[in-house]
Amino acid sequence: MRRAIPYDVPTVLGSLPDAAVAKYLSRAILSGQEAPPQVALRKASTPFSASEARRHTAPVRQLLDEAIRRFADQRTSADGWLAPRLHATLRLTRAEAADSRLWNYLALLVAPDYVVWRHKGTETTATSRFCGAHYTQTFSRLWWAAELFRDGADYRPVEIACRVQDVLNTTLRLDVIDHRPTALAIVRILDRLIASGTSRPGDHVNALSSAVNTAGSTLVYDVLAPDPGGDGEALLDWMAAAQDAPAVPWERLPDGPDDGSVSARSVDGLVTLFEKLLAEAPRRQRGTAG
Amino acid sequence: MKSVFPYPTVFGDIDFEVASVTVDGAPLPYAQVSTTERTVALHRAGREHWDRATLRLKARLPEPELAEGPWTDITCVAVLTEKATNARTTTKLTRTPDGDWHGAIDLFKHHHLRRATVTVNVVGTVDGIAGRLIGSPEQVWYVDLRESTPARRREIEIVEVDFRDGPHDWLRPFQESPWIVETSADTPTVYLNTTAVEGLMEVLCVKGGSAAERVLRDMTAGQIAQDTWTAMFHTAISDLDVDEDGTPVMPTGWREAVVRMMLPDVLPGRQLTDALYDINERRTQGFGWSQLQTAIQYAAGRRSRISKKLTSAVRTVDRAEKSVS
Repeated sequence: MRRAIPYDVPTVLGSLPDAAVAKYLSRAILSGQEAPPQVALRKASTPFSASEARRHTAPVRQLLDEAIRRFADQRTSADGWLAPRLHATLRLTRAEAADSRLWNYLALLVAPDYVVWRHKGTETTATSRFCGAHYTQTFSRLWWAAELFRDGADYRPVEIACRVQDVLNTTLRLDVIDHRPTALAIVRILDRLIASGTSRPGDHVNALSSAVNTAGSTLVYDVLAPDPGGDGEALLDWMAAAQDAPAVPWERLPDGPDDGSVSARSVDGLVTLFEKLLAEAPRRQRGTAG
Repeated sequence: MKSVFPYPTVFGDIDFEVASVTVDGAPLPYAQVSTTERTVALHRAGREHWDRATLRLKARLPEPELAEGPWTDITCVAVLTEKATNARTTTKLTRTPDGDWHGAIDLFKHHHLRRATVTVNVVGTVDGIAGRLIGSPEQVWYVDLRESTPARRREIEIVEVDFRDGPHDWLRPFQESPWIVETSADTPTVYLNTTAVEGLMEVLCVKGGSAAERVLRDMTAGQIAQDTWTAMFHTAISDLDVDEDGTPVMPTGWREAVVRMMLPDVLPGRQLTDALYDINERRTQGFGWSQLQTAIQYAAGRRSRISKKLTSAVRTVDRAEKSVS
């Protein structure tokens, strides 16, 4: 069943300053009892140009409605489905994505219901899910997960990364994953852990991430696993192609910007190293009952 | 604070500089690359659309030490990063016969937002382990995308605006205030109200003037500075993120600079990480928060040199009175 949204969604995305969020984000909104004040928020925001198709809200809104419908029983699973599709729908540069005002706009004016649906605790939703760091805010964490874990146009590693919430909560905030082969090597190991049916893969991922991060202060992964970096022009072409691109597919993965895949040799080398680190890393001790 | 490595690292100086910069193939004017400030300013008025800046780098390593030391497979890589966009680009430098290491690193505009950092890492094999970081320079270079003059220090923005009838709706409730400080954005901004106190703007913005005018200007500037430092500090420590074991993480951008500058005055004699932990405890638990206010006030006062300004103000007023009587 399609849920009715109790307010008008603006047709074009825009940017909403943090100060405006702080002013209007009340407890009633956080608990999902009230919708944010549309008129005041629209006044405080600046819309983008409507001539760019990637700035339209309708495709995003459809995607979010579908996510809520599909994952009604298991909202955390929505992340893996939504992250690549949101990334392929918004088509942003990193400079654009680093601007928190876009994410504020999405959370307060386009889809406050999604934020509450996905992140509401027993009573309220954390403010940081509406307006917060890139690895916390509802939509920016998904976008950055897709950006940092994709392998060129291939979003499959993103799906794997999102299968364990600890990757989004812990690994995503580490600077070491800004190096693409490092991010992909972590995902490769995670995939192996899940496939071999390891219990609590999240604990392993946390241990691995922190070991990789610590080792990264004395080991220069860029030298061990060279990566020429993405092709900036391919990204711009992909963004320009958004003008005529159809909406992202729901059943299969969309294609990301074809800015060059990471060398498999680089990833292989790091996987061997990281497996060693994981074997030596201390894992969280849990009581026998848990 | 120097990190400690569990293997021998290079002791000698590692130095590098940005020798020249081209933007989409065209050379960047020399004045926009400052060796003393170690900063490149990429912004040029009238040239908003560009894709790629190429930085030519030259590094000098302590070659005799490297030749004699326990390291093998020595390489030198340049690293360009920006935290805000999680961007990281590396490139290998090559050693020329004259002993310098040369190379070029590309900066894609769309991968960066405000200010990127460039450094070099000297990497080698130590004790059979490849890829060890064995040295890096003391100071990094900054590449500023929004500035046209290369300056290391970042200034806060000052906006003169009419609070009452000006373009900013949100300033209207503050129309009686001569200035307010806004710290929630990327750069802290001081909004000076052009209409609250008649004549204040003239006094503030004019150079020279009578002794009394100078005193007034200095005092007002000092007070604005004190307000700004206090507001920036509160904002910087209120946004602290904690990692899994509850240790607060140093904030980024201007918040980091403010914390680093003020924390030693707020909690003197502590290690920075300990002080950060303590301050986060106090803020979240409420314990000792009120006592902290005095220290913050002191630290902000020191930063804005309020005592110096007050002293000279008192002297000036004193002199003026004596000359009248």
